[in-house]
Parts: sequence; C-alpha cells; structure tokens
Amino acid sequence: MSDETRLTELRQKFGRQPAAPDETTGAEPTPREAQPRFRGLESGHRACQGCGEALAARLVMECAGPDVMVANATGCLEVFTTAWPESAWRVPWAHSLFENAAAVASGMEAAMKARGRNTKVLAFGGDGGTYDIGFQALSGMLERYHNVLYVCYDNEAYMNTGIQRSSSTPHAATTTTSPAGRERMGKRHLKKDLLSIIAAHHIPYAASASVAFPQDLQRKVRYAMGIDGPTFLVVHSPCPLGWRHESRLTINVARRAVECGLFPLVELERGSLTNVMPIRDQRPVTDYLQLQGRFAHLFGDDPRAQQKRDHLQALADYNVQVYGLTGAGPDPADTGGAAAVGRSGVAAGRR
Amino acid sequence: MTVLTRGAYGLPGTSLAYKTGNWRSTERPVHVHAKAPCHAACPAGEDQQAWFAKLQEGRAEEAWQVLVAANPLPGVTGRVCPHPCQNACNRKTMDGALAIHNVERWLGDEAIAQGWTHPVAEPAPDAPVVAIVGAGPAGLSAAYHALRHGLRAALYETAPEAGGLLRSAIPRTRLPRHLLDAEIGRLLSLPGIEITYRARLGRDVSVEELASDHAAVCLAPGCQQGRAWDVAGALPSDHHEGLALLREFMDHGQFPPASRIVVHGGGNTAVDLCRLMKRSGVQQVTLITASGLPGPQTAPDDVLNVVPRELDEALEEGIEIVPHATVNRLIMRGSKVIGAEVASLRKERGADGRTRRVTFEGTERVIDVDMVIPCIGELVDPEGLEPLVDRGYLRPGDTWGRLQDNLYALGDARGDRGTVAEAVGDGRRAAEAIAARLAGAEPEADDRGELTAEGLNPVYYEGAPRSTAPKLAVQQRGFDTEIEGDIGRAAALAEAQRCLSCGNCLACDNCWTFCPDNAVIKTVELATDGSHYLFDLDYCKGCGLCADECPTGYIQMQPERGP
Ligand SMILES: Cc1cc2nc3c(=O)[nH]c(=O)nc-3n(C[C@H](O)[C@H](O)[C@H](O)COP(=O)(O)OP(=O)(O)OC[C@H]3O[C@@H](n4cnc5c(N)ncnc54)[C@H](O)[C@@H]3O)c2cc1C
Ligand SMILES: Cc1ncc(C[n+]2csc(CCOP(=O)(O)OP(=O)(O)O)c2C)c(N)n1
Ligand code: SF4
Ligand code: SF4
Ligand code: SF4
Repeated sequence: MSDETRLTELRQKFGRQPAAPDETTGAEPTPREAQPRFRGLESGHRACQGCGEALAARLVMECAGPDVMVANATGCLEVFTTAWPESAWRVPWAHSLFENAAAVASGMEAAMKARGRNTKVLAFGGDGGTYDIGFQALSGMLERYHNVLYVCYDNEAYMNTGIQRSSSTPHAATTTTSPAGRERMGKRHLKKDLLSIIAAHHIPYAASASVAFPQDLQRKVRYAMGIDGPTFLVVHSPCPLGWRHESRLTINVARRAVECGLFPLVELERGSLTNVMPIRDQRPVTDYLQLQGRFAHLFGDDPRAQQKRDHLQALADYNVQVYGLTGAGPDPADTGGAAAVGRSGVAAGRR
Repeated sequence: MTVLTRGAYGLPGTSLAYKTGNWRSTERPVHVHAKAPCHAACPAGEDQQAWFAKLQEGRAEEAWQVLVAANPLPGVTGRVCPHPCQNACNRKTMDGALAIHNVERWLGDEAIAQGWTHPVAEPAPDAPVVAIVGAGPAGLSAAYHALRHGLRAALYETAPEAGGLLRSAIPRTRLPRHLLDAEIGRLLSLPGIEITYRARLGRDVSVEELASDHAAVCLAPGCQQGRAWDVAGALPSDHHEGLALLREFMDHGQFPPASRIVVHGGGNTAVDLCRLMKRSGVQQVTLITASGLPGPQTAPDDVLNVVPRELDEALEEGIEIVPHATVNRLIMRGSKVIGAEVASLRKERGADGRTRRVTFEGTERVIDVDMVIPCIGELVDPEGLEPLVDRGYLRPGDTWGRLQDNLYALGDARGDRGTVAEAVGDGRRAAEAIAARLAGAEPEADDRGELTAEGLNPVYYEGAPRSTAPKLAVQQRGFDTEIEGDIGRAAALAEAQRCLSCGNCLACDNCWTFCPDNAVIKTVELATDGSHYLFDLDYCKGCGLCADECPTGYIQMQPERGP
C-alpha cells in the first residue's frame, strides 16, 4: 500500500472533527466519540499492558485539553503514541529530541505569544528526560518563566531503551545498569530529590502526583493550567515491564508507594510546601517492595537484604517526617479518603 | 517556509487503526453480575444489593418496589427475620455488616405510611387459578407471586383471619398487629386474589377437589399438631404445651399461674414464651435446650435457633439458659410436677455417621419447679392430607416444593423450614414453578456464583460506622409496645450508603478512569449501574487492571474464547 493510499484511508476513517458546534460530520457519534470526556490521547497506542505512563498521560490530557499543544521528549511515551503514519494524539504535538522538551516548549510558547494566542503549552518527558538529560533545558525554561506546564512521567528508569538506571531510580532497585548481584544490592545511589531543585527555582507551582489517585492528579493539572507561568508536575507511573510486576497491579503498586511514604504527594508554591496528601495508615515499605521483581533480591537470604529494606524504610519515614505526612485522623483528602468511591463516582465531598 | 514532509507528521487519533486488542493472549475482562452474599443468603430471595442501590440514590419507593419483587412482607421480616443476609454481609470483614434488617423494616413501614402500592397488574379474567391452602406467610407469598406471574390465586384459610403464626403466635412486642394488618391487607386487596376464611382442608375442601378445578394446588398449612412429649412416662395433670400456651396468651392475655418454670426446647417459641412468662410475673424462668449458645466454641448448626437479637434480649431480661442439656424426667408429687431432672447432653456422631443425642451419666441435677413446658416443635396436622404426610411432614423433593405434578408443599409444612423468610421464598418458588409448568417449561434456578469479600477491592470504600436502632430498656418492656424501635430515615439512608454493591457495578468510573488503553467506554446515557460501561475489545490489551481496581468485583478476567 502506498503512503498516499494509506493516508487517504486514515483521513476517511478519522477525518477532521467538526470545528464548530454548527458544523456536523453527518455521522452519528460512536460510543467512543460520545464519551463525556476529552480524548486527548487515543487508543491504539503501543504501550505495554498496564502501562502507568500511558494512563498518566491520558489523565493529564483529559483535563488539560483540548486547547493545548505538547512538546514530548524522546522516551516510551513518544515512541508508543506515534508509530508512523499513525498518532494517538488529538492535539498538536511535537517531538524533537531526548534532551530538549523544555526548550522546544519554550519556543512553542514564545510563538503562541507572538501570535497573540493563549493556547497552553505542555512539555512531557520521562524521568531520564527530566531528572537527567533534559534537566538543564528544564531549569532554563523555569528560570525564563515560560508559561508551560512540564509533566514528568516518572517510571524510575530509562525504560524505552531497556531499563537503565536514572537518577530517579530508587535506591536498591535492580536495573540493567545497576544489577543486583554479588557486588551490589541494586542501585547504589539515592533517588534524586528533583522536586526540591525545581522548587528552588521559586516557580509558582510544583507538585507530585500518582496514577493511583487520579482525582488528585487531575486537580493538580487543573490548578497548574490556571497559572500563568512555569509549573511542574511529577507523576509516579509504574512500569510493569521495568519494575517487574504483574500488569494488573499498576495501581496497587502506585498506591502502596504513596502509602508507605516512598513517593510523597506534595505541593509547593513559590518554593514553600503548601499541601500534602496525608497518609491514613502508613504501610511498611515491604508491602510496596514485595510486589515488584526489581526489589526481589531484597527478600532473599542475603544478609544485606535486611539492611536495604531497613534503609528504604528509613527513607520513607524521613519523607513522612519532613513533609508531615501523618494525618490527624481520617480525612476525606488523605490516602484513604481520596480513594473512596460511591454510587456514580468519587465519594469525596459527599458526606 | 518550512514544508512538512509526510515522514514528519501523523494525523490526530489515527492510532485507532491499530487494534491492540489482538495483544490479549489469555484473558479478557467481562462484566459479571455475581450474587451479593446478602442475596445468596436471603431465604426470601431479596436482592438487598439492588434495593440498597436505589436507596443510595435516595429513591425509597423504587427501593421498596425492588424489595417487594421478592418479599411482599418487608415490615414483617424486617422485624422477625433472623437475617442470615446480615450474617453473610461482606462488610462484616470491614467495619461491621450492614443493618439490613433495620433498613428493610424502615422501608416496609415507610411504604405503609406513604401508601405505596404493589406494581402488580390484575391478571386476565380467564387466567389460570392457583388454589392455596393456608394463609400464613407461605400461602400469602404464593398468592402474591402467582399474581406477578399473571395467574390468579384462591386462598383457603381455616381461621377467620390471615397471617398464620405471625398473628397467632409471634408476640406483639416484636410484631405489632397494626403493621401486620396493613401488610397483609395490602396484599389481599390486590385484584386477582380471593380468600375464603373458615374453610378447612379436610372438612370443607379436599386436595382432590382443589386439584380438579385449579391449575395447581399449594399446600401451606404450617404445622399445627404438637409433638408427643413424654418424660419417662410421666405427664402432669395440668400439662401445657408451649405453642398452645402462647396462642392462648395471644387471645386472652393470660398464662396459668406459676412461679418457677422450666421451658424445654430451643426455638423462637421457647424463647418468646420464656420472656412473656417472665414479664407476666413468673419469678424464675429456666430454658433447657439441647443446642449451644452462640460463641466460638459452638458450631454454627448447633446454635440455638432463634433470632440473635431475641436471645440477647432474653438474657438481658434474666432468663436463665442451660445449653446442651435436656429434661430427663419429671419429679411428681401426686399428679403435680415439683421438679425437673436435668442432665447434660450433646449431639454426637456415631459409628454409622449419624448424629444422635447422648446424655451424660453423672450430670443429673434437679431444678425445683411448678411447671415444665415443652416447646419441641410441631408436625403437620394430617387431616385431609393423609396420603401425603410422611413422618410428620409433607417433605417435597425439591426447592420448588413439588409433591406431584400440580401439587406443591410450602412453608413449615415441608419439614425443613422454620422461618417466615423461608416461607415467603417457598411461595415465590412455587409460583415460579407453576408458571413455568403452565408454559410448558422447567423453572430455572439462579446458579450465578457468589461474590465473596476476597472479590472486592476494599481500598475504595470509606469507613463508616453501622447505625443502630433504639430499644426499650428491660424495665419498660411489656406486652404491647415494640421493643426494638425504628432507625429512622436519616440512619436508613446513611446505612444504605455503606452498602458495598457486592458483585454489581456502582458506576464509580474506576474502570473508565484507570484503563491505560481507553478500552473502557462510558456511555452518555444517565445510568448508575453497569449499563454505563462497554469494553472495546478492539483495543483492550487484557492487562487486568480494571478487574483489580473494580471495587465491586463486577469485572472479572475470563479466559479468551478460543479461535
Ligand atoms: C412463637 C413463634 C415465634 C416465631 N418467631 C419467628 C421469628 O422471629 N422469625 C421467623 O422467621 N419465624 C418465626 N417463627 C416461625 C414462623 O412463624 C413460621 O416459620 C412461619 O409462620 C411459617 O409460615 P407458614 O405459612 O408455613 O405456616 P403458618 O404461619 O403456620 O400458617 C399456616 C396457615 O395455614 C392455616 N391452616 C392450617 N391448616 C389448615 C387447613 N387444614 N385448612 C386451611 N387452612 C389451614 C393456618 O390457620 C395458618 O393460617 C415463629 C414461630 C413461632 C411459633
Ligand atoms: C541524546 C540521546 N541519547 C540517548 C537516546 C536514546 N534514548 C531514547 S529513549 C531513552 C530513554 C528514555 O528514558 P526516560 O526519559 O526515562 O523515559 P521512558 O522511556 O522511561 O518513559 C534513551 C536513552 C536518545 N534518543 N537521545
Ligand atoms: S455490602 Fe451490600 S451488597 Fe454486600 S453483602 Fe452487604 S448488603 Fe449485600
Ligand atoms: S484495563 Fe483496559 S486494557 Fe486492561 S484489561 Fe481492562 S479494559 Fe483491558
Ligand atoms: S470499576 Fe466501578 S464503574 Fe467499573 S465496573 Fe467496577 S463498579 Fe462499575
């Protein structure tokens, strides 16, 4: 099939949506089209089964769109959404390089400004593209005060090239470049405290979120979207392949990361801590670790295993302490209350 | 000007051309409406989950309609049922089972107060007529369900009023008569039900006659004949049998005088009698029962067979209960009883595998009494039923109650029942079987699986303490005022919010929110149940995430149907 035929075929199938309410395509909307939410990132993408990153990006698009454009760094998200000649995106979207998403977004924002448009620009990157290689571009974008929301999909390693450690990989996790074995119990170094560095730029808003708490995540996106200036969100996004957990457990793993204190959900405005999601009942870190193959060596006979578990527990307790994650009794916005559902939707705010 | 070449862009949303559904290898998500444990446990066949769902939306009348689709007497069962539903409720693994019973009662009362009517159409004038003997809960339920199946019902009742034991035996302190009259009156006023009072099977009608002029005959006469009770041959001259004493008390408001009594037995009759006699002035009331008291040491099938609340209240009221014991012999002075010899007893399994009662030698003791009352159950009165009675009961072969082609046995008379809810369930099943038979089909049992607590995802349910109903203090309890009170609208609605919706979608959106592949489609129609969500198997990769995160267990991963 020639490119031309293939393109015509795709156009006929997915042709441009009506631009205005009075313009119709003539066709009855399919159930997919009629859904009561914005479909910024469509099905048919090639993410793995149970991919946390695909979910996170969809959740962000849902409440950021439709009037947005995206600069996407190289990485899984970029690759699995855009297998040529197809694209899963339904907003303007650009990919340039691994290291420059924030710089590209800065340029897009400047161009919009020059045209007198206020389309919000989003920049997306993985943790490799954010904590590591794209870090200086990000710092520059924040410092120049571009009106961009940067979202880092944190799956805690370079997943797209085969699970190499990043500065976001947690201590003691095994990756292909920090393998557990005789020499070491997985990654020797600590997970970088990126949020504090971002906060040091004194930007209006920086926050962490998790796919396990979608309403909280989307509230944070909406809040950031309303700010004229640089904002930053890091979303904990489990990777069943790289973390070696069953695909069905993505949400459970993400939830436990928050509940044990290893991934605190916090909000910082102008560098100051303004809000946290309190933990209702703090779990031991082992509840989180044992679901994942990347920590399997921490449960063997090796005498170093106990020490590593204790170390991770100490890191979790440290987060709980410095961020004040212990709540004062059940709260609709704590880890227990935020998850609650009722008939026809989330329960929060009902009682 | 830069020109974008075809290598540089793609059209929006075109990934839809690529059907990731073919990545699924072994399992696909399926919506499965499993039975909620409350429903599975309810002898009347109510689907508590379904009516709680309506209450969660604040639709009380619709909730009542869903409830009465199975049980036309919720005000009655909401008061007297031993509520196995509540014992089965999955929420007991969290912060306490739902107070199903109290909400059921509230709905029943609300229906009476608001004058809600059964949404049942009048059957066609020439619709087949089902004859029903006995207008206790079993017969009444059969008549009501016959109507729901488009049949007519003709009830024959020997008493001048309907209700059976509900009227003649259950104390008013737990079943007020105005409520009973209202629920039964509402049922009997449905067009298509005829009732003939003072019509006694055996005397005024016969099974053969009924069978020849009706489409089917339901036998629901209950058990009217006391079992022979004989303690080592001795029976005092003023012997009274428990149910007869209760019935007399219902009619005349008096018990024969006594100051120390022993009641021998272990059911509702025994406990009701103990409590009423204690309240009427008997100083010492001792219940001797072969069963055990509820507790970790007692096997479930060995527990005293009464409504749990009634047992608690009896103990509160100072009834002494001697479990695992029997009355060995009566000690007589002349023809009057002055003592009861009591001995310990257990049900033991013999070498042949059958359990029998074994009395332990050396455990005998004598209790001074002036009356010993047996409450050891009743048998079917065989009059008019001679060829059908087998060892005291009608003993049909299946749950539909089929005795013969067009002859059904329901309620206590079956021999394997003993509660109002079971009687109501029997009436429903018999009507279903009759309707199926008339249509030339077999009745179909609901063999769906049950959704146990392990099938829920507890993370998504916020803690909420169980509501409780007010109760009269021991000193205030008499013979008329109801002991347990109403939980009230606010508590009933709050309690409904605690329902976990086991096995049925509650439209929480979790699957829709969490599917990384947008393979769960939410429809735009207004819905609060599973009809809201579709799986788009063209894109579902079979990750299983939605099934894990579904709070209610409504999504299950099932093997792909082979190619
Ligand atoms: C004291 C007491 C307390 C109880 N408490 C509870 C309780 O708390 N909870 C609970 O679930 N259950 C309780 N029960 C049991 C419950 O009442 C019965 O299981 C239930 O009433 C059985 O219903 P039925 O329709 O089969 O029989 P019945 O209620 O006995 O009704 C049978 C009807 O058939 C009529 N009849 C009998 N023979 C003939 C005939 N030959 N011709 C025409 N009509 C006839 C009778 O007059 C009667 O109206 C209690 C029972 C007693 C005795
Ligand atoms: C400059 C440069 N170096 C290396 C690569 C190869 N590369 C492509 S994606 C990727 C890893 C991306 O990791 P991350 O940013 O964490 O995103 P993920 O794939 O985990 O979502 C790498 C190393 C590249 N594209 N460009
Ligand atoms: S929680 Fe609701 S549906 Fe589940 S068993 Fe209890 S009453 Fe039934
Ligand atoms: S979450 Fe989505 S992709 Fe995964 S099994 Fe459910 S419907 Fe399929
Ligand atoms: S996750 Fe929620 S909306 Fe989806 S099937 Fe289960 S109960 Fe229904």
